[in-house]
Amino acid sequence: MSADRKGFFWVGLALALMLLPVVAVGLNAFATDWAGSLLPLGFTLDWARQMMADPRFLQAFGNSMLLGIGATALSAAVCVPAIVVAHAFAPRLDRLFAGLVILPYAVPGIVMALGLLKLYAGQFGLILTGSPWLLVYAYVPLAASLYYVPIKNALRGLNVAELLEAGSMLGINDARLLWRVILPSIRQAVVIGVILNFTLVVSEFVYANLLVGGQFPTLQIFMYVLRGGSGHLQSVLILIYFALVLIATTAVALLAGSEQGKRS
Amino acid sequence: MPPRSPALLLTTIPLLLILAGFEVAPMLAVLVSSVFRGGSLSLGNYGEIIASSYQRAAYVSSLWLSVLTTVIGLVLALPLARILRRMGGRLQSLVLTYSNIGANFTGFPLAFAFIIMFGLSGTFTLILQRLGLVEDLNIYSTGGLVLVYSYFQVCLGILVLFPAMRALTPEMDEAAAILGVPRWRFWWRVGLPVLRPSLISAAILLFANAMGTYATAFALAGGNANLVTIHIGELVSGDVYSDPNLANALAVILVVTLILPIAAQHIWSSRRPRDER
Repeated sequence: MSADRKGFFWVGLALALMLLPVVAVGLNAFATDWAGSLLPLGFTLDWARQMMADPRFLQAFGNSMLLGIGATALSAAVCVPAIVVAHAFAPRLDRLFAGLVILPYAVPGIVMALGLLKLYAGQFGLILTGSPWLLVYAYVPLAASLYYVPIKNALRGLNVAELLEAGSMLGINDARLLWRVILPSIRQAVVIGVILNFTLVVSEFVYANLLVGGQFPTLQIFMYVLRGGSGHLQSVLILIYFALVLIATTAVALLAGSEQGKRS
Repeated sequence: MPPRSPALLLTTIPLLLILAGFEVAPMLAVLVSSVFRGGSLSLGNYGEIIASSYQRAAYVSSLWLSVLTTVIGLVLALPLARILRRMGGRLQSLVLTYSNIGANFTGFPLAFAFIIMFGLSGTFTLILQRLGLVEDLNIYSTGGLVLVYSYFQVCLGILVLFPAMRALTPEMDEAAAILGVPRWRFWWRVGLPVLRPSLISAAILLFANAMGTYATAFALAGGNANLVTIHIGELVSGDVYSDPNLANALAVILVVTLILPIAAQHIWSSRRPRDER
C-alpha cells in the first residue's frame, strides 16, 4: 500500500537523521584525518588505543562507574520502599511524592545546582562541594521520578489493598507481604528504574561540573577537559559513552517489551 | 486505609529527608537569597536584571529559542508519532528506543557531534558550501543552537506524543475515509481538537526542557551564548565576575517563567465544564 510505504519512508528518514550525529562521531573516532574533506581520508585505531592508554580516561571511566553504581544504589534503596509503602498505606504521602518527583522537570538543573552550592559550600558550616558524596545525594531527587512512574504503574495493576487484606487474614504481616509478594511483582519496574537511574548519572554534567568538577572527574567532565584538543580523542570518548547508554537503553526496551507481552 | 504497620512508614523517612535537603531546601535557598542584597532584604537584584539590557536580551533570546524549538519539535514530532502509532512492529520500537536515547542525548556529546557535522570544516558545512547554499555556517551561533536544540526537542516530542496518538482511533480514520473528508479537514476538525490537551502538555514540557537547557548551550557556544541559563552558570562559577545573588534572582525569574504555563493550563483545565474533560 502506498500510504504505508510513505509512512516507512518518513520514519526511515527521521531515524536516519536522528542517527546522523552518532555516525559522525563514530566516523571521526576512527578517521586518520577528516578536515576539509567530505569523508575521512583513512581509518585508524590509533585514537582508540591512545584513549585506552590514557590514565585520565581510566580514572574518569572508573569515577563514572563508581558514581553510577553508588548513586543508583542509594536512590533505589531510598525510593523503592518509600514509593511502595506510601502507595499501600499513606495516600497523602503518595500525593506529596507525586508532586516532589516531578518538580525537577519544572526547575532546571542549573537552578538546583545554584541552591545546592548555596547550602553545601560551607556557608552553613557544611562543606560537601568537591566531594562525590554531594552528587550521590543530589541525584536522588532527579532519579526519584524514574522509579516513581514505572513502580506506580506496576502497583496500580496489582490491587495492593486486597493483597494486604488477604495476607492479614492468613496471618502474614504487612512487611513480609510487601517483601515476598509485592516486591517480586514489581521487580521489572524497579529494574527499569535502576537502569534509567544509572544512565542519568553517567550522562549528567551540570551538577558534576558545578558542584564537584575537577576533584572527581567523570566521563562528562573529561569530555569537557578534552574540548579544543584533538577532536578524534573526544569522539572515541563519546563513542564509549554512547555504547554505555545504548546497552542500558536496549535493556530497558527489552524489559518494557516483555512486560507488555506478558500483559496482552 | 489506616496504616496497620506504623513501623513500615519509617521506610519513607530517608527519601523524605533527602528530598527535603537536596530538592526543597536548595530551591528555598535560591528564592530567599534572591531577595537579599548586600546583607539586607531588597528587590535590588530583580531591579538590576530588569534595568540591564544585557540581561533582558538574554531572557528574550532564551524565550525565543525555546518557543521556536518547541514549535519545530511539535510540528515534526506530531506526524512522526502518528505514522509510528499506525505502523507498529519492529521499526516502531526501534524509533521509540532511539527517541529515548536522542531525548537524553544532550550536553557535550550532542554539541560535539554537531560540531563535527556543521563545524568550520564539517562534512555538511562543506556539502552546503559546494552546493552554494551557504557561504559560511556558524554552528556556534544562535542558528546553531536552534539546530541542536531541535534535535532533542523532536526526539522528546515523539516520546511524549506517541502515547497520546491512541486517542485517534482507526474508526475515526475509517469514518473520514468513507465520508471522503480531505486530510487537512480531518486534522483541523477532529485530529487537533482530540489531541489538544496532549499537545498543550507536550508544548509545556518541551518549552521547559529548552528554557532550562544549560549543558548543551555551554558545550556548543560557551560564554558566547546570551542565554539565561548560561548567565546563571557564569555568575556562579565566577569565571568573569561573580554575583551569586544576581544569579539567584535570574534563577527565580527562570522558574517563574516555567511554572506560569503549567499553572495556566491547570486553571484552564479545571475551569472547563466537567463533561468536556
